[in-house]
Amino acid sequence: MGVVILLVMAAGVALMLARRLPTAFALVLLAVVIAFLAGAPFTGKNSVLDTVLQEGAPTLAATMIAIILGSWLGKLLDETGIAGTLVRKIVEFGGDRPTVVALGVLAVSALVGTVTGSAPAAMLAGIIGIPAMIAVGVPKVTAAGTVLMGIAVGIPFELPLWQFFSTALELPIPTVRGFMEKLFPFALAAALAFVLVETRRRGTEHAWSLKSVDTKPRSRREELGDAPWYALLAPAVPLVLALGFELAIIPSLLAGVLYALVTTTRPGAMNKRLLRTLYGGFEVAAPPIALFIAIGILLAAVKLPGTVDALEPLIKAVSPHNPVAFVLVFTLLVPLCLYRGPLNVFGLGAGIAGVLIATGIYPAVAVLGMATSYNQVFGVADPTSTQTVWSAQYAGVTPQQVMVRTLPYVWAVALGGLCVTAATYL
Amino acid sequence: MTATEPTIREQELADLASVDDTEWGVRLLAATPTHEGRDLGLLRQWACRADEFGARLAPVPSAARVVERDGGLESMLLARYTSRPPTVELYTDTLALAEELVDARGWRAWYPPGSVRAAALAHEAVHARLHHGPEKAALKQALGHTVLRLGRHRVAGHVAGAEEVAAHAYARTVCGLGRSPLLLTAALRAVLPRPGREK
Repeated sequence: MGVVILLVMAAGVALMLARRLPTAFALVLLAVVIAFLAGAPFTGKNSVLDTVLQEGAPTLAATMIAIILGSWLGKLLDETGIAGTLVRKIVEFGGDRPTVVALGVLAVSALVGTVTGSAPAAMLAGIIGIPAMIAVGVPKVTAAGTVLMGIAVGIPFELPLWQFFSTALELPIPTVRGFMEKLFPFALAAALAFVLVETRRRGTEHAWSLKSVDTKPRSRREELGDAPWYALLAPAVPLVLALGFELAIIPSLLAGVLYALVTTTRPGAMNKRLLRTLYGGFEVAAPPIALFIAIGILLAAVKLPGTVDALEPLIKAVSPHNPVAFVLVFTLLVPLCLYRGPLNVFGLGAGIAGVLIATGIYPAVAVLGMATSYNQVFGVADPTSTQTVWSAQYAGVTPQQVMVRTLPYVWAVALGGLCVTAATYL
Repeated sequence: MTATEPTIREQELADLASVDDTEWGVRLLAATPTHEGRDLGLLRQWACRADEFGARLAPVPSAARVVERDGGLESMLLARYTSRPPTVELYTDTLALAEELVDARGWRAWYPPGSVRAAALAHEAVHARLHHGPEKAALKQALGHTVLRLGRHRVAGHVAGAEEVAAHAYARTVCGLGRSPLLLTAALRAVLPRPGREK
């Protein structure tokens, strides 16, 4: 039966790759089929309806709340002009040195990446950051890659992600945080290397573009000015509280929301702005929440006793236990997290991680190391991930060009993360 | 295509010619990211200063390799300068369309035959100079945008897009054009189909 379940998983990956089914729908379908194949009853204990669907769907509820709060803060950073001001200041101070501007946008992207993820993070940093970099001579692929690499620097400190791994892998937050702190230097080194090497290798680029002038004058409608300097600290507030003061994730994010609000908004306008950005945040958070509901359902299915019994001998036979083999095999498998592949943490990869833990093949913390290492690759180089697609298209290049340019750097990050995992937890 | 469409386009192109060169500089700056909230008066001041700076630059020969290629209309480019290796790419399809447009609009007195290509080369040559030479700091000083004051000391800030305005002013001056290349840029943009407007 284990072979049949693996074949079903492969069919699910094919459906996602072929875009026949959205990832969230494919994961739910997979979960239900796997549960039936594992012999789960329709209702009752360890059943399809009560365990997989009813208990599985809200498994990642805490993550969903964190995602909503992160998106809310992201909307506030956008509406209050905080994100735009950060990028504008960087261009004003370092604009005649493209490398300095790129490093500045990298820093802003990293800061934004700690608050929220995927396309909204890329938009917050990139809407002004990408054209600003291009305007000072940074080539387009490098500009798009800089925003993505910057977000990836922030990923290890993205609080909603801590919550996700903590709940999905049943690990305490301090354990997740501990590994993320070890992963961060690799992400930072790779991002700095990307900016320094690529701006040097590719040099600068200036184009006589037909899009450089508007044929119609700009309207005189009221536009946002700069946010005050102390408001620019808002993206760092949740991180400082969670990392420095070990405050829980949801209060840390709420503190960030309040700080951004009170430093930028008149008291009379606060209620209106809070509600508007909260509702806007729900819109931004909708796709990841749908995915997290589906992942919760899939995790419940792969943890059913029948599934564990069926998959355990197969997975045990192919999983390397020697630390060197572990690093080599899983580093070579990195491309399998691209194009919604089977090792994508926000797809079937979550299910595979669940199987590895449920069958006891690796300790949960080693699976955390593996999953977060892969996430660093997926978050930057996957041409189907929303942040990569948005950044590439906004810069005027293809997601594949960005993948080719960034993959060597993020592959090295994954290698680093897997080495730390093998050395520490195996 | 409807019967009224050419009329609307003719009108649009005629309107473009009535916009002065400084206003084109302002519109370029206004369309450049980081200037979203800027006062139009300040943008006008910067556009004037950048234009004067570019027009005053002494002619300089370009050491960059020149490559001619097509595909400019698709990517909405007329020319491109890359520093590694120093290369100027000229998009022949865009240049040809520009020459056609100059004839069609009766703008030949402003843009003599072959002047668009010469302007493109001059424009990209000055980018190389503004990027590597001492003029980079001089342009910043000329614009007078202060981003930080510490007592008597002040830090001059970069104005995104000002280099582009200066490069167009330089090209206009050294090629003896009657109007800024920005007018031609806007006219080309107006006649080319934009995303979402193609049939």
